[in-house]
Amino acid sequence: MPIRHDRKVSILDVMGPVMVGPSSSHTAGTARLGRVAREILDEDPVEVHFFLHPPLASTYRGHGSDFALTGGAIGLDVDDPQIPEAIRIAEQRGVTVEFAEEDLGEVHPNTVRVAIRGATREAEIVGSSIGGGVIEVFKINGFQARFKGDSPTLLLFYRDRPGMIAEVANIIADEGINIASLYCSRKQRGKDAFMQVDVDSPLSDAALKRICSLVDVADARYLDKIP
Amino acid sequence: MIESFKHLEELAKDRDLADVFLETDAEEHGVPAADILEALSKRREVMRDCIVRGKNGGESMGKLVGSEARLLNEAFRSGKTFLDPLTVKAEIYALSVMGENSRMGVIVAAPTAGAGGIVPGMLMALEEERHIDPETTVRALVVAGGIGSIIALSANISGAAGGCQNEVGVASAMGAAGVAYMMGGTPRNSIQAAALALKNTLGLVCDPVGGLVEVPCVKRNALFAVHGLTAAQLAMAGVESVIPMDEIVEAMVRIGRALPRGLRETAEGGLATTETGRAIAQRLKDDANRRRAERAAERERMAEERKATGG
Repeated sequence: MPIRHDRKVSILDVMGPVMVGPSSSHTAGTARLGRVAREILDEDPVEVHFFLHPPLASTYRGHGSDFALTGGAIGLDVDDPQIPEAIRIAEQRGVTVEFAEEDLGEVHPNTVRVAIRGATREAEIVGSSIGGGVIEVFKINGFQARFKGDSPTLLLFYRDRPGMIAEVANIIADEGINIASLYCSRKQRGKDAFMQVDVDSPLSDAALKRICSLVDVADARYLDKIP
Repeated sequence: MIESFKHLEELAKDRDLADVFLETDAEEHGVPAADILEALSKRREVMRDCIVRGKNGGESMGKLVGSEARLLNEAFRSGKTFLDPLTVKAEIYALSVMGENSRMGVIVAAPTAGAGGIVPGMLMALEEERHIDPETTVRALVVAGGIGSIIALSANISGAAGGCQNEVGVASAMGAAGVAYMMGGTPRNSIQAAALALKNTLGLVCDPVGGLVEVPCVKRNALFAVHGLTAAQLAMAGVESVIPMDEIVEAMVRIGRALPRGLRETAEGGLATTETGRAIAQRLKDDANRRRAERAAERERMAEERKATGG
């Protein structure tokens, strides 16, 4: 049997998640994508724009994907019974939520671009909900990424230079934490770069502070496993 | 890592299948067996709650379904059903869970929401009818999840990827393996139960009316819960699939790829584009547009009010 996936999903991922219906790919997965955008923004959103790939744009309403995406973006978990009320809750909190259709290219049918803005900063992701609540985020703030939200992850934005990966890896090693996978991408040699470090156990605030204070680090986010 | 069903059978042989899955999952994902069992025990409770709430029915979001669980439950309670109680209960429970799902209730995706009635329908009905210890049901959920995780190595578990066979087919295979386990079957019995269930769902398309998880999904869960029970019954009697499970999964992936886009959850083919399907889709669209217009008008009114009060 040809194996196509590099990582085996766990029993709890298959027999789950516990979620608000009606569709694991259109409701749970999309809620998690909204949540990823919220966690990367790392402050309360003021404005969220969802750009839906055409197949998703034609099916999202009936599955409550609009409630789910919004719920995730305002920080609700996939099993929060408030998800069906998410759009109303967002309005009460003064969050502007807009939906539009956009051709996102050769991607999974259930793909969305999320542009989110808070009082002081903004973030953007492009990701797919590939079934059973499982997600794949392949663009973060314009950088190529391979984010699945299934482990604690460090996202680092920095200026490309020799030694950066080693310095980050050393700090994580000092904590006795194992790196599960590492992915880097950059816009141009010596310019803006991005590093995604999936770790096996939670990173301490102290380690995160040390990483943030490295020369040429522009910004860092530490995300727990996305519920 | 368990790489195939062939590998699983070699590994499990005379062992308890749930133990094998718990051990390998703990190794691969670093979650201790006790934590997996505890989480699944909670999920069994969620399934139980869904069944209790869902039995009375209620209108779905798209208003296309809602009375199925109640009707069958009433017929059963008043002695008007003619199938055996295990079968009828499996149907009622599958319908109950799917009814809750269609009302945006809290459910367990097993492995997806759209196929989420099958595993609880089969396992909870069997637990009740055969007086099986709930702990054994939780271990059967481990078996079902483990079977699904091996299928997921080569297949995406979604109707968008490969049609309904990838959701309902996989769910009935998972449930059949769980049922064989609960009935004291060997690992080989469970794998054969899964093979017989999955093999006989191949080619099932995903053509939901109006794109909703309502028609045909809700009733289909009841029918395929029974399908899974039948597969487990055959396997427990020693009936085996000529085509091995690994090759069935491979066939499922190939069939899924060959399915036209219109039959993979897009609501652009099959039942969705029948005369009635189209009419329903149009009505849903009109309703949604009307609601959107109402919301926009409401926002405008609120903005006017704020302006008028100078706030």
